[in-house]
Amino acid sequence: MTENMKCGCECECECESEIVGIYPCSGSANVGIISNQLAIGLTKAGKGKMLCTAGIGAKIPGQLRSAEGCDRVVVIDGCPMNCASKIFENAGIAVDEHIVVTELGVKKTRDMDIEDSILSESLEKCVKLF
Amino acid sequence: MKIEILGTGCAKCVKTKEIVEKALQESGLQADVVKVEDYETILSYGVMITPGLVIDGEVMIAGRIPSVDNVKNWIIGQ
Repeated sequence: MTENMKCGCECECECESEIVGIYPCSGSANVGIISNQLAIGLTKAGKGKMLCTAGIGAKIPGQLRSAEGCDRVVVIDGCPMNCASKIFENAGIAVDEHIVVTELGVKKTRDMDIEDSILSESLEKCVKLF
Repeated sequence: MKIEILGTGCAKCVKTKEIVEKALQESGLQADVVKVEDYETILSYGVMITPGLVIDGEVMIAGRIPSVDNVKNWIIGQ
């Protein structure tokens, strides 16, 4: 479970100098599913740390304090409904970077089977934004 | 009063403990100061980045070192 914990210090543990929180909308449409996969991919690529958007919506104190403790907050919405960024707006937490999957060239559908090529292309575009 | 410092013993977590002790000393208050290094316990508070500071079960800060004044305000407000 240690890989799930992010330390804000400068010691020799897994921590980084800048804490980047990555929050996907994790919606049910294809682009929501892709937002979740992008957050995982960006975390694995070392671009930041996937954190829990639902926890912000639920106003879980520890989740709110964790978001406030991030140096940068990156929100990935699937579509222009911008649910995840609105969750942050409602919580009064500023978003530093806002990515919308449909703006990466993915059409919103109800298809739950996401092609690997779409995921990899979207991830590549996202990585360039960091 | 119970003050929990969430972290794995790294520099910022150690510094947070020092600040808590200084805040207690300056305010003349006493508390049980506990270092929490167990990840499951840390995550149970919803804290995803450390250091974290919990006072009587309430998460006050995560991912940053609090100031002495902040801690003093929090403990006086308890």
